[in-house]
Amino acid sequence: MNYVKGLAAAALLALPAGMATADQGVTDTEILLGEVEPLTGPPGLLGVAHNLGVRLALAEVNAKGGIGGRQLRLIAEDDGYVTSRTIQSLRKLIGVDKVFALTSLSGSGQALASMPIIKQSGIPAMVPIGPLPPLYEPPSDNIFVVGQSYTEGMHQLALYLAKEYPGAKWGIILQDDDYGKSLGEGIEQAREEADINVVFETEYARGQKDFASEMLRVKDAGVEVLIAGGIISENIAMVKEAEKLGITPVIATFWPGRVPEVLKAIGPASDGIYGVDYVAPIQSEAGQAFLELARKYLTEDEVARVNRYTMTGYSSTRALIEAMKGCADDLTWACTIEKLETNPPIDTGVMDPIGFGPDNRFSNSGVTIMRADYETLSFAPVGE
Amino acid sequence: MNYLAELLASGLAVGAVYGLIAMSFAIIYKSTGLLNFAQGEMGMIIAYVAWSISTSVDGNPFIVALGSIGFAVLFALAVERIVIRPMMSEPILSQIMVTIGLSVIFRSAIILIWDGLPHNMAIASGNQLVDLGGVRVRAAQIAVLVALFAAIAGMWAFFRYSRFGVAMRAVASDDATAQLMGVSSGKVQMAAWAAAAVLSGVAGVLFAIAYELSPSLYALGLKAFPATILGGLDAVIGSAVGGLIIGVTENLVGGYISSGLKEVAGFVIIILILMVRPYGLFGEKRIERL
Repeated sequence: MNYVKGLAAAALLALPAGMATADQGVTDTEILLGEVEPLTGPPGLLGVAHNLGVRLALAEVNAKGGIGGRQLRLIAEDDGYVTSRTIQSLRKLIGVDKVFALTSLSGSGQALASMPIIKQSGIPAMVPIGPLPPLYEPPSDNIFVVGQSYTEGMHQLALYLAKEYPGAKWGIILQDDDYGKSLGEGIEQAREEADINVVFETEYARGQKDFASEMLRVKDAGVEVLIAGGIISENIAMVKEAEKLGITPVIATFWPGRVPEVLKAIGPASDGIYGVDYVAPIQSEAGQAFLELARKYLTEDEVARVNRYTMTGYSSTRALIEAMKGCADDLTWACTIEKLETNPPIDTGVMDPIGFGPDNRFSNSGVTIMRADYETLSFAPVGE
Repeated sequence: MNYLAELLASGLAVGAVYGLIAMSFAIIYKSTGLLNFAQGEMGMIIAYVAWSISTSVDGNPFIVALGSIGFAVLFALAVERIVIRPMMSEPILSQIMVTIGLSVIFRSAIILIWDGLPHNMAIASGNQLVDLGGVRVRAAQIAVLVALFAAIAGMWAFFRYSRFGVAMRAVASDDATAQLMGVSSGKVQMAAWAAAAVLSGVAGVLFAIAYELSPSLYALGLKAFPATILGGLDAVIGSAVGGLIIGVTENLVGGYISSGLKEVAGFVIIILILMVRPYGLFGEKRIERL
């Protein structure tokens, strides 16, 4: 953590003087936006999909003439989910490319480490991936967070499962990092409000691939409700191990893995897995309308890569674009921030309307509990 | 009792994956004195190629095996000839840095050529569950153990009885003298790289069948390298044993003590063994004559 802080501080000191020009990135014909995300490695699954959402929002507005006659252009930097590279990329985007605004600061940990640079520069920045409370509590003038915290999402999921499966024995497997800690806090909150009987609880090291011993302990403890707190590969391994051991606990996963590819990789054992999300399922009416829009502006290959992160990237960028539109005649950072703060909530249909306030930099989206359907490789809200 | 048996079975299966990749490290080190830090990534690329082949031939195991082995050999020969051999006269640190660079390129290549999504690798009955006296395992987990023991037997016979195997040992022992005796060190290196790629490819493919195929598959190399150190850097068969020890230890610690200690358990064993046997369990003690 000290290393990350040190990097952030060093990067801050190294920012070019005079960088904080309010209208940088704007010419008579073009507005330049920038973002950092993982485009390679396993987290590329979310970074690539997010990037498609931002590009979709830009293509849509460009097709309608842009903002004040200016076309929007995006520079996307790949950080591979490595914080030091996030900081370097942000320095380049702000200081060298001189983008007008940022549409992503990568994942939660990367965004947290980037805060000093972003706050000092004053550049409007959207955070639609990994919304953690420290990013918006206390609110920073120019950082706008969209979505729902991991803690609240898990809190709601745990409360639902406690109500649905009263008296069940619970098992909890969490990752030993900020992500796992956030999920753990959500479960703790739920335990204060509901009767949850945890009989097995453990943490695993990030990057672990073999979950045989953990799942044997789940079997041995007679777990009936299992919180599989991995991200993607870990949850696949846990569910496949459960299938191998012949146990059938109710399994609940979290939204980073709520993509069809995870169900496909697990196979039939994925049927009935619980999930939680603040984004509409792709099979819903709103999801299908979103896909239709994507087909208009993206290639066939790109449409195939659309997932929930495309929706959050699109929605967040739409909120930014609407704010910029309100400042078309005088496109400055101050005006854009003021419009983000005062604009009525922007409804894209795929998540709760996005809006902020004078002392609120978090657009709080309500969550929905879902269940997987292997046959259609999709998740549907429970009760439907 | 069944709990212990299940832990041992899972430990042996994942240990066999580590063991095959560990053998790959050792083969290249034994023949060239080089540590190939891109070994896990090479196994991952071969697994992706196998997946591509399997999706176009409907999972036919024979075509997938032939195609993947053929690719592994050509891939390894290309890397050895184009990147590694020109570096062989350079300082060892530079050679190692080249393999680290290769590992980064190979990881990025996965996203550029394929994608970042997890995939189910359905080849033959690899994913089927088999009941072994109350212990359930996947067919691919049995296959990886069989592959490891076949590789151990094959390597033992190769180094002991074949002329080429003896030549490889000669190059490993003294490169210059072996060349004076007419041994082509270039051919030995090529054979070592090809064999290493095939072994790590088998490990990658069978792991992907049992679990999933994803761009994080390269991490198996990071787990296998300590197994090579444990068995002995120059001990091909010892490295295989090292993999099994680490796999079983991890599972026993995870099953009886704590998951949190699972990742460090293997390293604790390595430290303890290296304190007693600095060249690894089966490594040769080298005597420097002054």
